[in-house]
Amino acid sequence: MRRLKLILVLGGVLALLASVGVAWATTGATTGYPQPPNNVPVQKQAPFENRYVLTAVGSGASIRSGEMKFEFEEGSSPQFLVGISQFYSYGPTGEIETGLFTFYPPKALPNGKGLGFTALKVGASAQYGQVTPDGELQLFTPEGGTVKGQLRLHGGGPWPVEFKVLADDERYTASPPAAKQIHEAEPNNPGWGGEASEYEGEYELTNGGSDPTEKAGTLGAVIGVAQGLGVNGAVVSEGSMTVEGNPAVATVKLETGGTERTFTLTKLAWQGDQRVAQVHNEGPSSPPVGHFEGTGGQGEVRGTLISGHSVYKVDFKLKR
Amino acid sequence: MKTRSRSLASLLVLAAVGATIIAGCGGGGGSSSGGGTTSDFVSGAEAACRKANGAIVALGTPQQEQVIKYLEDTEELVERLHKEVAALGPSGAAETAYVKGLAEAIPVLTAMSNAARSENFDAVRELSAGLVEIKLGELAEAAELKSCAEVPVSES
Repeated sequence: MRRLKLILVLGGVLALLASVGVAWATTGATTGYPQPPNNVPVQKQAPFENRYVLTAVGSGASIRSGEMKFEFEEGSSPQFLVGISQFYSYGPTGEIETGLFTFYPPKALPNGKGLGFTALKVGASAQYGQVTPDGELQLFTPEGGTVKGQLRLHGGGPWPVEFKVLADDERYTASPPAAKQIHEAEPNNPGWGGEASEYEGEYELTNGGSDPTEKAGTLGAVIGVAQGLGVNGAVVSEGSMTVEGNPAVATVKLETGGTERTFTLTKLAWQGDQRVAQVHNEGPSSPPVGHFEGTGGQGEVRGTLISGHSVYKVDFKLKR
Repeated sequence: MKTRSRSLASLLVLAAVGATIIAGCGGGGGSSSGGGTTSDFVSGAEAACRKANGAIVALGTPQQEQVIKYLEDTEELVERLHKEVAALGPSGAAETAYVKGLAEAIPVLTAMSNAARSENFDAVRELSAGLVEIKLGELAEAAELKSCAEVPVSES
């Protein structure tokens, strides 16, 4: 049944890819999305059936620009909206990467605030593409030609977003213009706490999972590498972290399968329970390859460590 | 005393000749099929696995820009390992299952390489579940292939 649903959704994605705004043709059916379990009244969905361009986004999302389209699934009864977007993001080394997302199923936000959708990531190649839940898009009730909302992707956010409704004849021949970057209040206190003694020391990983390479023989190494890729986070089997120095630097060792990786975290900063840092692969003086975002306090640090295409969900506890 | 010694020596010679003939007969069946004996298979497969594991260790742990090359190289190494081990002529269920496991891994690795080329790294990770399911290490253990059951661990 799950496989059937996936096939149906993939069919819908391909149809949507053929129909989304600017870069593609603007007409075409969206078929294949199964009827959502919860019905949202059509009159609540109808104001969102439009083509959009991204005009503002939280800087933490690293999205440069984007386009989006929502339309009613053809033949659906009761009718429901399905969306697709193309976001142009800043990659870890500064290059622009393209990300495709579909938004389904719609759900009504509390107090008539608008609509929410699960963000489904679409693979770059249809043949190998997977539609995987990757976050959430909330769109608040349109005001004139503007729709505000918030976006969660890759385990990060929420980031504020603002879209402008495009007129029927409004087209971009290339990528859309850069959206305004909304700079959120980011942690800027040095270290990971008010006093160095609160966070310096040796940490142990407390969310280690089972090792998928354990019985894999010769294939263990490649499984270990593959398990560290993607946006959903690798299964980390073992790990440790040491925080020391002034300014504080964290050395993180993580084992995914039989593969051990060492990361260096610099520019540690905090605000309330927020903990952030810059991630390097080859020591503190090597170029940054990602970032750490999480929460912490009272001898614990938990969050997401992003290094290029790899995402690691980690929970650390200070050894006392 | 001298006669007893000569008789003992004759017996020993006869025993040695007999053992040689028996050993020769025992190995004939496997060799004639071109596959080698089970012990030939084990030693040959172990040598092939040590070579493949060494080459995989030498690939190191790839950085993100090296993932495509890493997957392509691993695919090639596993394909070569499969050819070498299959050519040894597995006999018995455990050896056959190990060779089958290697064969099953190749299309999964091909799909992973293709997904990496499309920069669909989520798909690479998800496809790797197909490799986990093969449990190649367990199959190697069942076939008494100690080196083949080991996971190559890179230091870098």
